[in-house]
Amino acid sequence: MMRFVLSTIMIAALGAFAEHIFAWWSIAVVAFLMSFLFNLKPWLSFSSGFIAIAGFWLFVIIRADTANDHILSQRMAMLIHLPNYTIFILVNILIGALVGGLGAWSGCFVRRII
Amino acid sequence: MRAIRAIVVCLLTFSIIYFLDNSIGSLPPLGKLLDPMNGCWVNAEPVNKNFSFKDEITSHFDEDSITFNTIKVWYDDRMVPHVHTTNDHDLYFIQGFIHVYFRLWQMDMQTRAAAGRVSEVVGDKALVFDRTQRRKGMVFAAENSLRVMEADPRTKKMLDAYTSGVNHYIAYLRYRDYPLEYKLMGFKPEPWTNLKTALLMKYMADDLTGYTEDIALTYLRDMLTPEEFITFFPPSDPNSNPVIPKGTVFEPALQQMPTVPNGDIWAHFKPTDFEAEKKEDGKGSNNWAVSGNHTQSGAPILCNDPHLGLNLPSLWFEIQLSAPGINVYGVSLLGAPGVVIGFNENISWGLTNNYRDVKDFYAIKTVNGKNNSYWFDGKEIDFTKRIEEIRIKSKPPFIDTVNYTIHGPVMYDAHFKGPKGLSTPLAMCWMAHRGTNELLSLYLVNRAKNYIDFTDGIQYFECPAQNMIYADKEGNIAIWGQGQFINKWKDQGRFVMNGATSATLWGKDIRMDENPHCLNPMQGYIASANQCVTDSTYPYWYNGYFKEYRSWRINNVLRGADSSHLFTVQDMFALQNDEYSVLAQNSLPYMLNGLKGQMTEDEKKYADLLKSWDYKLSAESIAASVYQIWWELFYRDYWNQKLHNVPDNIKPTYEVTTRQLQNDTLSNDVKIKSFKEAVDSIVKLDKTVGSQWYQVKNTSIKHLTKLPAFSYPGLKIGGWGTVVNAVKSDHGPSWRMVVQMTKDIEAYGVYPGGQSGNPGSKYYGNSIQNWVEGKYYRLLFLPNSDKQNSDKIKYTWILNP
Repeated sequence: MMRFVLSTIMIAALGAFAEHIFAWWSIAVVAFLMSFLFNLKPWLSFSSGFIAIAGFWLFVIIRADTANDHILSQRMAMLIHLPNYTIFILVNILIGALVGGLGAWSGCFVRRII
Repeated sequence: MRAIRAIVVCLLTFSIIYFLDNSIGSLPPLGKLLDPMNGCWVNAEPVNKNFSFKDEITSHFDEDSITFNTIKVWYDDRMVPHVHTTNDHDLYFIQGFIHVYFRLWQMDMQTRAAAGRVSEVVGDKALVFDRTQRRKGMVFAAENSLRVMEADPRTKKMLDAYTSGVNHYIAYLRYRDYPLEYKLMGFKPEPWTNLKTALLMKYMADDLTGYTEDIALTYLRDMLTPEEFITFFPPSDPNSNPVIPKGTVFEPALQQMPTVPNGDIWAHFKPTDFEAEKKEDGKGSNNWAVSGNHTQSGAPILCNDPHLGLNLPSLWFEIQLSAPGINVYGVSLLGAPGVVIGFNENISWGLTNNYRDVKDFYAIKTVNGKNNSYWFDGKEIDFTKRIEEIRIKSKPPFIDTVNYTIHGPVMYDAHFKGPKGLSTPLAMCWMAHRGTNELLSLYLVNRAKNYIDFTDGIQYFECPAQNMIYADKEGNIAIWGQGQFINKWKDQGRFVMNGATSATLWGKDIRMDENPHCLNPMQGYIASANQCVTDSTYPYWYNGYFKEYRSWRINNVLRGADSSHLFTVQDMFALQNDEYSVLAQNSLPYMLNGLKGQMTEDEKKYADLLKSWDYKLSAESIAASVYQIWWELFYRDYWNQKLHNVPDNIKPTYEVTTRQLQNDTLSNDVKIKSFKEAVDSIVKLDKTVGSQWYQVKNTSIKHLTKLPAFSYPGLKIGGWGTVVNAVKSDHGPSWRMVVQMTKDIEAYGVYPGGQSGNPGSKYYGNSIQNWVEGKYYRLLFLPNSDKQNSDKIKYTWILNP
């Protein structure tokens, strides 16, 4: 359990750092590496990556969206034909979380071959 | 087994990342866009953002050899920048910087559109548009103007400073800083150039002088009898209240009017030679000035509302520019230095489109029907070929060769818009192709202290021709129908001319100081609303695309001043928002007269509604909807019958139509048929979107991409192109301004948008509601000083060298 929590925190923290400097998909690389290091069970690996990125993105997005009075999120929701900004934010976070989860899952399976 | 599992999961991860990192079809690269650190969320501007800063943006200027003195910018609560600098260079440098800070993507797209480079970023759906721009010679025209603008030291300095200001912002942008539209469309900003400013000026020239009826009039003249033609298409309206009031005495002309040449001077062709182009209704504008004798304050009041495309980001950007020798407030065009419409400490000015025809066509006779040379005065002349390479997103480029003749570029030929194999290519001769320096006019007018300075300044404003209204603190009001015009023989350029003879070439320029103008007329006011410029006493011949209805209304109202009623700025607000339709007043009684015979319940109901209508096109009026639909249908049917079903792209004016309606007794069938159709439409509308006038006309302010998510549809506002408040579906008053020339200038304004171009900013569309309701903002005009203590100032930029 400790390793799971630590892995999640590391992915979120290093993911934030990487995303600030590198391309957005560096979150997947970070998740891959952390999962490779921590060597959790596959489904725990996936969850760790998923939760880490979901949490990190949720934090950044909620902060930006609140400060913006939802002006942008409402427009973006309409743009991609979603009923409201909450759903847009959920979809947005889901995409990031999925990439984080898959990155971690990949790392875990690659570790298992070696 | 484990290896396969690992490979499958890795491949899945890779492909999902690849899919999210690239644009698929019309979808933007979603991963990049939704990345909260760099994507769209960066464009979610905090509503309480503190825009103030000191020196932050200047830190990176040091690396370049930019030198400037301290620049100060104060922003008021609507984010209007009030700039103060110590010299002209810094003034236009910071104007460029501010423009691009708020409107980068718009500046990029407008100049791309001007240059015919839209396909580069949106793909081949814009190819026909791009080809049209190239064939019009837009880039050729801009290059010509650039040479002239760079030859004058004042405008050269303006352009260089502006461009450097724009580029100092662009150079330091990272993906995360890009405007949202770049992230959605997947392209990057490119450096600004002086040519782009020239392109923008030509974009406006095209918008305002691009309209033409020459081709349609050419075949209509051949199809109709001479009597019919002169009745339906008179060169000007006999009942016009011209821009220059009747009775104004014109100086004798310096040149004689040329006589109509003998011989074969006209071209002839059939309507089917062309793809019928959709007739774009003329854009309009109003301006007027009332002398101090007719105002309560005793000072003149100047008003202007240019009617242009209603888009977001807005066409205009409000700004105050002050430096030694200049303190001017008004609206600027994104991509050009200076203020276009506004006021300074001494004068105010405004613009409406002049609509004299400065765009003519010549039929070209190619040698042996080939594409290499053409006949001119019996000699073979080679076309000058200009190769236009149009780059297209994710496709190989399209190469178009445009043939240039002595008249100008060949716009239409068998390869473009001549589907039935147009045998005679048409070349275009257009004032906008000339190298001109309107920017110099803005430079001088922005600094003008009096009427002499103003008239000196506007001598450089050649194209697009504008009715320039003027008022000053000394109490003068004036107007100039200003632009560069040609001394034409009667009807020259009204129809397509034979391009194989020098007899039809454009003649000499009319000297700019001979343009129609008047100063302090007896009537105590001056008004222009795209009506005919002068009466027939003006000594030069011209034609144009004039509209009278708004002018009739404005003249009626402004004539109403007397000692018991002197005008106030509130009266001016009311007039700019006036919805009274003189067209309805002139036509509806005659239309109702024709309604004979059996009527259904609905028809009776709506006929009664029309009988008690006040002729106002107000937002909630149902009668207005019935009338407008009926009028459109009647107009279409009447002329289809009269003109023997010629293609739908040109019809006589509304002014001619109402005269016909008043005198022609044969049109009862048309009246009844169109009324029944109109009632059917209204009944249907009533069951769907609603039948109130604003619901029917659906005024929408659309983002330049037309994305509904960034647009404001269905605004509850009345008006139409025929009334003073000329709010149509997508065109209308793009800036309403009222300036009272009292000692402390009292100025008001509003435009349908906001200062920011960012759809994620609260300043994106913050003025729209007030514009809809006809409300104005008092404009903050700061003194020319490097210290300010107004409590209206919200944010401050201080840029130290």
